[in-house]
Amino acid sequence: MMDRTIQPTITEAAKPVILVPEAIQLDNGLPVHILNAGTQEVTRLDFIFDAGLWHESNPLQSALSNAMMQEGSERYSGAQIAENMDFRGAYIQFVVDHHFGTISLISLNKHLPHLLPVVEDLLKHSSFEEHEFETLINRRKQRFLLENKKVKVLCQKKFSEVLFGNHHPYSQKVRKEDFNAIRRDDLYDFYTKFYRSGNCRMLATGNTDAQLAEMLNQHFGGDDWQGEKMVLPEFTIQSADKKMHQVKKKDAIQSAIRIGRLMVKKDHSDFHGLQVLNTILGGYFSSRLMANIREEKGYTYGIGSSILSLNEAGYLVIATETDQAYANDTITEVFAELKRLRNEPVSEQELKRVRQYLLGEFIRDFDGPFAQAQSFRSVADFGLDHHFHEQYYQTLMSITPEKLLNLARQYFIESEFYIVVAGA
Amino acid sequence: MIKFQRYQLENGLQLLIYPDYSTPMVALDVCYHVGAKNENPNRTGFAHLFEHLMFGGTKNIPNYDDALQHAGGENNAYTTNDLTNYYLTIPNENLETGFWLESNRMLELDFSEEKLNVQKNVVIEEFKQRNLNQPYGDVWPLLRELAYQVHPYQWQTIGKEIGHIADASLEEVKDFFFRFYAPDNAALILSGHVDPDACLHLAEKWFGSIPNRKVNKAVLPQEPTQTAFREKTVERDVPDTALYLAFHMPDRRQYEYYVCDLISDVLSNGNSSRLYQRLIKEQKLFVELDAYLSGDHDPGLFIVSGKLTEGVSIDTAKSAIWKELKIMQNELVSTVELEKIKNKLEANLVYSQMSYLNIAQELANFENIDRAERINEQVDLYRSVTSADLMRLAQQLFQETNCSQLNYLARK
Repeated sequence: MMDRTIQPTITEAAKPVILVPEAIQLDNGLPVHILNAGTQEVTRLDFIFDAGLWHESNPLQSALSNAMMQEGSERYSGAQIAENMDFRGAYIQFVVDHHFGTISLISLNKHLPHLLPVVEDLLKHSSFEEHEFETLINRRKQRFLLENKKVKVLCQKKFSEVLFGNHHPYSQKVRKEDFNAIRRDDLYDFYTKFYRSGNCRMLATGNTDAQLAEMLNQHFGGDDWQGEKMVLPEFTIQSADKKMHQVKKKDAIQSAIRIGRLMVKKDHSDFHGLQVLNTILGGYFSSRLMANIREEKGYTYGIGSSILSLNEAGYLVIATETDQAYANDTITEVFAELKRLRNEPVSEQELKRVRQYLLGEFIRDFDGPFAQAQSFRSVADFGLDHHFHEQYYQTLMSITPEKLLNLARQYFIESEFYIVVAGA
Repeated sequence: MIKFQRYQLENGLQLLIYPDYSTPMVALDVCYHVGAKNENPNRTGFAHLFEHLMFGGTKNIPNYDDALQHAGGENNAYTTNDLTNYYLTIPNENLETGFWLESNRMLELDFSEEKLNVQKNVVIEEFKQRNLNQPYGDVWPLLRELAYQVHPYQWQTIGKEIGHIADASLEEVKDFFFRFYAPDNAALILSGHVDPDACLHLAEKWFGSIPNRKVNKAVLPQEPTQTAFREKTVERDVPDTALYLAFHMPDRRQYEYYVCDLISDVLSNGNSSRLYQRLIKEQKLFVELDAYLSGDHDPGLFIVSGKLTEGVSIDTAKSAIWKELKIMQNELVSTVELEKIKNKLEANLVYSQMSYLNIAQELANFENIDRAERINEQVDLYRSVTSADLMRLAQQLFQETNCSQLNYLARK
C-alpha cells in the first residue's frame, strides 16, 4: 500500500527559452521585431504608437482617436472594415494605455495579403467622420456611467488621484462633462500628429510567413506617412498630503478598499526582489493576505496586491472588496501583515514555495508565441531588453530571507501608505 | 483534428490524453459530472460551495495549494449548471504531484465545521460582490426564473438565495461529496507535454484504488413546452434601460443546436453583424446588443439582450429586434454571409488550438455532454448547416409564445 501523505519527488523545472526577436527596419526606418514561434499558421501584428494618455492635451483624446480608426477610412467604411475582418475570421484590436496607442491584428497567415491593405488604409487615411464620432461618444459615455456605478472603479480613480495628483496623466480624471466637451477635430488632430510611421514600431509574432517582412515593407515602409517624432511633455507627481480618503456611494452593499504607495520603477536594482516580496504579501492564492483575510477570517471573496510598472513611476496597490462591516478590520489586518514582513524573516519553507510558484509562472510567461510576445513587450516598452528577464531569474533563484526583510523595512513603511475606501 | 487517446480504469474513471510537445507544461483537468442542476431545490449553490471546499485540504494532504506551489503548479476551478471542473497546470517534470493531489481530493476531503463556516462566508461575500453590488447583477436570476418553471436551470450556480448557503450543514456537505465525487462520475484529462504510457501508469497508481461509488443521479424534471408569452418588468438604479428576450432552444446534442449557434452569429458575431450594423450603428437604438446561446447541455436559451440608447422606449427597441428576427424567418441568409460566419468559426478553432489548457477544458466539456469525441465533429457539423436550416429553425424558435421578456428599467 502506498503512502498517500508523501508528495512525489519534486525536481526544479527547467528555465524557459527566452526568444530574442529578430530586429529589422522598413525602408522608411520604422523598426520591426519579428518573433518567429509557434506551430499554428497564425500571425499577430502589433502597431505600437507613442500615443497614450501621456501625450494628450484634452481628456479622452488618446483613447477616442485610437477607437475612431476602426470607424472608416478613405477606401473602406467602418462597416467594410468590420466585414473584411469578420469574413477572414481575423481580429483587430484597438488599445490605449498611459504611453501607447496600439492596433493589433490577429489572423491566419493565408489571409494577411487580403487584410494588410485594409490596415494600411485605416492607419494612413482614417476619415474620422462626424456621425461615427457621435455614435462612439454616446456609447463610450454610457459605458463610463456604468463603470462609475461600481465601488471598485470609484475607489481606483480616487486612489490614482491621491497617488499622482490631479494634473498627472497617471491620475484617472475623466468626468462625464468631458464627453460633451470633446470635438471630432480634437481627435483628428491627435491622430494626424501621433499615428505616423516616425512615431511607430511594430512587433510580428507567430509562425510567420517568409514573405512577411517584404509585405510589411510594401504596405508600411513608404515615406507617405512619416510625420514628426513628437516631444514628450513633462509632468511632476504630486501625491496628496492626507493619507486616508473616503468616497461615498450610497446603498453600496460592499466597500472597495485600495491601500498602497509609490514604488521603484522597473530599472531599479530592488525591482526584482520587491516582486518576490509582493508575491508573499498578496501576489498569489496562498499569499499572507489571502490566508489571513479570506481563508482564516472569511471577510472577502478575494484580496490581492500587485506592483504596477509605468514608464515614469511604479506603485504597489492592495485591493479588495468586502462587506462594510469588515472594512476596518480588513485594513487593520493588512497593516498587521506589512508589519510582520518588516519584523520577522520569511521562513525558508515559505520562500521555497514562493520561489517554485514564481518559477512556474516564469515558464508560463514564455509558453507559446503570444506569451513570448507579451514578455518581450514588458521590457521593450520600457526601453529594456531580455537581460531584465535573466536578472529576474537570478534574483528569484538567489534571494534570501534577510534580503526580503531589508526590502520590507525599506519599502513597507506604514506612514507612507495611502488608504482609500469607497462605499456607503 | 485533436488526436487524443481514451482509456477507462476499472473503477469507471475515464482518462483522456492529448500530447502537445510545443509546451513544457501539462494541464491536468478533473471534470466531475455534477453541476447546479443536480442540486436539491432547497439547497441551491451546493456544487459551487463545494468547489470552494475542495481547496480546504484532504485526509492525507493538509494544504493543497502549498503542495502544488512547491511543484511550480497553478490551479483553479469553475462550476456551471452542468459540471464542476478542476484544473491545474504544472511543469511536466512535476506532473506526478498533480496526480497525487487530485486523486487525494477524489478519495476523501478533510471536512470540518470550521472550514465549512469560513468558506460559507467567502461564498456569501462572492454572492454580494457578483449579484448584489453590481449594476445588472440580478439579471440572470430574474431571467432564469421567468424562463424556467420546473427545470433546475431556474437557479444560478451561486445559488437561489444566500440562506441556502448559510444553512448548509456539515452532514449535507459530506453527503453531497460521496454522492457525486466519484471515479465513475468523472473524467481525468491530460494535455500538453505528456507521455501517454506514463500517464496511464500514473492514473492506475493514484486513481485506480479509489472505489467506484455507484453514482446514481436523479432524472431531472424536463421543462414543459412554453405556450404563452411571459414578461417581467423591474426598475433598478442603473445607467441604461436594458431589454432581454429569451427563447427555449434544443439541447447540446442536437444538430439544431449548431444551427442556433450560427443564427446567433449571423445576428451578432463581430462588428459586421446585422444587429451591430443596423440597430447600433444605423438606427442608433441600442448602445450594446448581442444574440447568444446560454450554452447549457440540456435544452437551454437563445438570448437577445441589449442596452437602449437614452430616450428609446422598450416598445421601439423590442419591435426593432423582432423585425430582425422576422427577417431571419423570411429571407435566406446569403451565401457570402454564411461563408463569413463559417470562416470565422474555422479561424477560431485554429486560435483555440494554440492553448493546451483550452483543449483540456473543451474535452472536459464535451465529455460532460456525453463524449469527448464530439470535439472533432464540430467543424463538419457547422460546415453542413445551410441557409435553409437557418430559416427553418428561426421559424421554430422566434415565436412570441416561446419568448420570455425581461424589461430592466433605469430608475430616473
